[in-house]
Amino acid sequence: MSFRHIWAVTRKELNHIIRDRSTLILVLLTPTALLLLMAYALTADLKNVPIAVLDYDRSALSRSFVSQITAGGDLELYAQVDTFDELEDLLMHGKVKAALVIDPAFSSDLMALRGLPLQIIIDGTEPESGGFAVDHIAWRAEEFVNRALEDQIQAMGSMTSLQPIDLRVRTWYNPSLKPRVDLIPGLISMVLGFPALSVALTLAHEREHGTLEQLMATPIGRAELLLGKMIPYVLVGLVNVIVIPILAMIWFKIPFNGNPILFFFLSAIFLFAILSMGILIGVFMKTQAAALALSFLLIFFPGFFLTGIFFPIASMPEIMRLEALGLPGTHYAIITRGVFLTAIGLDVLWPYAVMLVLLGFAFTGVAALFFRKKLG
Amino acid sequence: MNEQAPAITARGLTKKFGDFTAVNQVDFDVHRGEIFGFLGPNGSGKTTTIRMTLGLLQPTEGSVSVLGMSVHKETEKIRPRVGYMSQRFSLYNDLTVLQNLNFYGAAYGLKNSLLEERIQDALVMAGLEGREQTKTKDLSGGWRQRLALSAAILHRPDVLFLDEPTAGVDPISRRAFWDLLYILVAEKITVFVTTHYMDEAEHCHRLAFIQRGKIIAYGSPAEIKRDMMKGQVLEIAPSDAARTVKILRDTHQTGKLPLEEVELYGSLVHVVSPDVEKTKAGITAALSEEKITIDQMEIIEPSLEDVFIACMRE
Repeated sequence: MSFRHIWAVTRKELNHIIRDRSTLILVLLTPTALLLLMAYALTADLKNVPIAVLDYDRSALSRSFVSQITAGGDLELYAQVDTFDELEDLLMHGKVKAALVIDPAFSSDLMALRGLPLQIIIDGTEPESGGFAVDHIAWRAEEFVNRALEDQIQAMGSMTSLQPIDLRVRTWYNPSLKPRVDLIPGLISMVLGFPALSVALTLAHEREHGTLEQLMATPIGRAELLLGKMIPYVLVGLVNVIVIPILAMIWFKIPFNGNPILFFFLSAIFLFAILSMGILIGVFMKTQAAALALSFLLIFFPGFFLTGIFFPIASMPEIMRLEALGLPGTHYAIITRGVFLTAIGLDVLWPYAVMLVLLGFAFTGVAALFFRKKLG
Repeated sequence: MNEQAPAITARGLTKKFGDFTAVNQVDFDVHRGEIFGFLGPNGSGKTTTIRMTLGLLQPTEGSVSVLGMSVHKETEKIRPRVGYMSQRFSLYNDLTVLQNLNFYGAAYGLKNSLLEERIQDALVMAGLEGREQTKTKDLSGGWRQRLALSAAILHRPDVLFLDEPTAGVDPISRRAFWDLLYILVAEKITVFVTTHYMDEAEHCHRLAFIQRGKIIAYGSPAEIKRDMMKGQVLEIAPSDAARTVKILRDTHQTGKLPLEEVELYGSLVHVVSPDVEKTKAGITAALSEEKITIDQMEIIEPSLEDVFIACMRE
């Protein structure tokens, strides 16, 4: 292993990256752009979800209930209908995401303390909006019942057992329950893996242009070539390791509770692991188009679905859990969440760091092993 | 390491890709200090052979050694002592002239003042002084080709491999390129060059002609002409060359005249025959029957092209 050879390759790659300003900007700014895009696309608060109401009761109480649930702009009363068929029609055509059916016995049951006979129908094809509507109506209903029954409850005096249920939920780490706080460290772990794509492409690019053959004929060894190609992208990645958390703190007001130096160090290990994965892809794919497609298949899609950013790993089938363990992003997502939100240190995070190191060496090792046989 | 060993020795070299045999039992020796031409049509196995000789491709059978060292076992020792210019000039088009030279110099372990000195030599040789900061993609084909050659010899290799170095380059640049090769040979560099240009073959000290993976002619141009040609070449300048070819081929098929080859060369026709004097009269008679006049008819020295076409027919 000659450092002179590695440096020769690294300097050449750096020349490629900074050869023109647009490429450099692209490499440096893409993770930032991706983070902003995904943060807004995935965590946007729902507003103005259209609903329809079928009120069989037609009482003062039911009317005041409807006006209360649609107050505040979270739910929007799209239409008040008279028949169930009309309601179904609106749902079928996607005009409304949820429908509320008020029973004829609504006000009588309520005043007799027999309950609140309501039916909520949601569009199951859009569970996000539907679920939001259900939660919102339930929350408003509770408020409504409390207020409507205030007088009765007072009149009953000692009958405290009739008090409506008051459920208090306390959420750890994300006390204000803003979705972004929880999501953004996960997204950060995803966008910081972006340079893996570039490194996968650079090998395929050399193969396509015939320069790889020339490189193989020089005394530069295969491992030297692979390492030399990875180093510049580690450097580019580390710039983003500094920029992205600062952006998250300023723009999204995300707390950074952990140790920044630890985060930087663990991120460098992650970059080594994810770039090794990129190199591995580059070794096997003959063209840039194929390398790009495989990078998306192996790095970015699993980054979404398998690394536990959006879907808990514990709820996955066995085989996918194993696959998740083989992805650097899984371990790094735990690290970023941990460091950002809970200030945990190496005493807890070391197994994930070890996994990243092992994965990095495994990927590079396999890449160097198979690289030999891939010409011609 | 044996300093007296031939530059390259190949024995029974074979490469199969599945059922397809790209290179089939190839033997050749390249002597020190010569330009050895490896000729053949496209797809005949030239690049596969050069890749096996450089250790970039594992032979299916046979062996090859460079400077007395086995390519298979001592690849790493050979690498610093050979230079290679692959088919597409192998430079980084988005980098500048200087960045390319710096990279290849560093790849071969050159550093500091030696690297600077060699880069200066390379710039002079390629005629690119003062254009160090030009991006390689902005150079024309001929300049790129000379730059690639200069880059391939920065480390002063003992053996230089060139894979179709002049493909797609204008004739003047090709001529200039061969002049550079003669300078290298004068400096004791052995050159192994593949080409499909017949005129370039005449410039080589020795040649191997490969077709469908097999060497079908091997030796100096003079030896090949002497050994491979079955008969003499008669050059005819008829009034209608195209019809002449057709008529003479017909007579050959019917067995009237003992003609080995009838080939069209522009407005001329080349006829190969074991006994030229005897066929002259027959040709004149056959053509005058068809009202074709002969402006000139003489026995000429065969060109390599004549020889190779004769070889390929067999």
